[in-house]
Amino acid sequence: MCSARRCTGSRGEGGNAPSSDTVNLIWDTFRGPGTGWNEERIDTFKESHPNVSIEFRPLTGSSQQDNYGKMYAMHAAGDLGDIVAFDPSHYHFWRAIEAGIIGPIQDLADADNLDQSQWFEQFMVLQHYQDTLYGLPSWGWAGHDTLVINKKHFDEAGIEAPDPMGHETSMDTYGEWARSFYQENERFGLAFAYGESAVSVLCRIWNTSFIDPEGTKCLILEDENAQAALRWLYDLSVTDGVLPAPGDNLNANAAQLEGKVTMVWGGSLNTRNFQRDITDESIAEAWQGLFPTREDGKFPSQIRGGTWNMNAGTQHPQEVYDFLKHITNLEGCIGFNLVAGQGALVRPDVLQELISQNPIHEWFVPNLENGIPAYAPANSRGREYTDAIGQRIQILLDKNAPIPFEQGLEELHKSVQDVLDMEPA
Amino acid sequence: MAATATAIPQPQRSSRRWSPKRRRENIYGYLFLAPWLIGFFGLFVGPGLWSLYLSLTKYDVIGTAEFIGTDNYVKMFTNDDLFYSSLWRTFYFAGLGVPLGVLGSMFLAILLNQKLRGVAVYRTFFFMPTLVPLVASVVLWKWLLDTNFGIVNQTLISWGISDPPGWFSDRQWAIPSLIIMRLWGSIGGTQMIIFLAGLQGIPEELYDAAHIDGAGTWGRIRNVTIPLLTPTIFFNTVLGIIGALQTFAAAFVATEGGPGYATWFFSLHIWKQAFDYFNMGYGAALAWFFAIIIVTLTVFQMQLSKRWVFYYGE
Repeated sequence: MCSARRCTGSRGEGGNAPSSDTVNLIWDTFRGPGTGWNEERIDTFKESHPNVSIEFRPLTGSSQQDNYGKMYAMHAAGDLGDIVAFDPSHYHFWRAIEAGIIGPIQDLADADNLDQSQWFEQFMVLQHYQDTLYGLPSWGWAGHDTLVINKKHFDEAGIEAPDPMGHETSMDTYGEWARSFYQENERFGLAFAYGESAVSVLCRIWNTSFIDPEGTKCLILEDENAQAALRWLYDLSVTDGVLPAPGDNLNANAAQLEGKVTMVWGGSLNTRNFQRDITDESIAEAWQGLFPTREDGKFPSQIRGGTWNMNAGTQHPQEVYDFLKHITNLEGCIGFNLVAGQGALVRPDVLQELISQNPIHEWFVPNLENGIPAYAPANSRGREYTDAIGQRIQILLDKNAPIPFEQGLEELHKSVQDVLDMEPA
Repeated sequence: MAATATAIPQPQRSSRRWSPKRRRENIYGYLFLAPWLIGFFGLFVGPGLWSLYLSLTKYDVIGTAEFIGTDNYVKMFTNDDLFYSSLWRTFYFAGLGVPLGVLGSMFLAILLNQKLRGVAVYRTFFFMPTLVPLVASVVLWKWLLDTNFGIVNQTLISWGISDPPGWFSDRQWAIPSLIIMRLWGSIGGTQMIIFLAGLQGIPEELYDAAHIDGAGTWGRIRNVTIPLLTPTIFFNTVLGIIGALQTFAAAFVATEGGPGYATWFFSLHIWKQAFDYFNMGYGAALAWFFAIIIVTLTVFQMQLSKRWVFYYGE
């Protein structure tokens, strides 16, 4: 076992040249199995690296999170592959770095003069830890930065739908629409996603954040803007009762397809899926509304994404690094989108390709270029963090059993801060 | 005499020397037992003991387990906001769901035990929900009980009930909704089959005797059927309580513990701690505490059964 730096250094001046001996690598991933993408990447890599053999070991679990447990166990057993992925937006990236599971590729990238501008900057931010590069982007989007809109309802009401690429519509206007499109027992104007992703973006719209960028402090009790953001939602959900109650969310997307919801708080990929899933164009037409520009000029969003990493213990860091580039280059990323069926809006050139196939992708460009990366708990307690927000926000916004706003806010704050105060995972 | 005496063959002591045939039989016996023994010790006893050790450690899968004594057990009682609430929810679910399930299964079995034409078809229909995969039935019930657009609430509204229950989206109704879903899958299922077997084991002459003594339908049920079904009721109750206390999958799929922790059952809490948060040691401690609760409860039920369970012929 050797670290990436030591292995690279041992090759002296020609450190970046692939070794001539036969190299056997193992690729453990739950992304793409069964689609042919992984095999295609291995075959095409072999054309330029005939001495490298890569064994693809698909991971399968009932959920993505299940596979991280497997990878930790494989690491503990000394059986984790050379090419792996511990995604920052699944909160495993930093934990895996701290535990010495994934290693830095900074030196390899420097020696290679890697052009990092081939990916959107915000996704590259997610690949760094303590100013060191640990991976290259896999999946990625701008989070719950959109209201997925059924434009038919706007047309029927004679209301002009917002510019799908603009950021001029105010939250007051969205709130008015949520109320005006609501018809009791018939239709909801707005369905909110009661989870961390949407709540984080909500606070960002009000020029603040749910937790601080360092991931150590929950801001909602001391920040008036955060309270104003949550109050906007509380008024809609509890005071006016025009949003579906927490727990109804799983059916919101399906209900929108049937014309029973006008706006669903989601993200760009949800807009694309909505367009894809429409079967009756007399009922629904896919549209989107973005949130107003912040005072700092940024667009409210939460850049979320995945990564491809090198096992810190690999014997062949150079070959692993070359393969990471191979699966994240233009062809690799296009295939990752179109063959593997993943949402990977991480490269401008890939987005151009996707736009040529479906112009709706152009709507997603502004927030990818000018979005804000996700903030995560510094202690890598991401799963506890999302559960605490998800469950507590449901209590705060439950119109079936309403509680005072201040009480719900305090309980939400306490739950989240308790998680942030835990010892590191 | 002496010669005669010595001629009497002494019974061969079965001691250590087995005949080749006996030895072969033993080997075959153990060979046939081996799959179960390997499974029992390798997949149950071994991991069980390992988890007991883990419950005394701090272990996150990545690193080595650090021995911390009883800290995990102290933590669950003193520093876990969800410990008591999840335990209470679990007992609420079992306390409401098990009696309804056992009574429902029993009365359904009594109905389906009648000598009626086509009763086998009815038995099949009632058993069918048991065959539906859990996830499929959860999705089905999520749609049926959707607060706003589900067929149940739409029907209730059409009947003039303007404010129908919120079902899965209402913290008050989330557990009853899960119980309804569970009853749909279980009343006509295995419990009913066991009750049917129990009913068919009741001697016909007892009914005849009761009839001669003037007992009507209800009298026969009360004085013959129910007393002689008590072993079956006891069996189904014990298994029902154990199953209900361990409920996990339905809540995990249907509500993910929500809304607002309303269906955050104890098994889900164990799973979250162990496999989602990777607090394996703490998860193991919770699991062992829960195992002790279930065993204690079962022993208590067995003691109590001496007072109300009647075995025919004893």
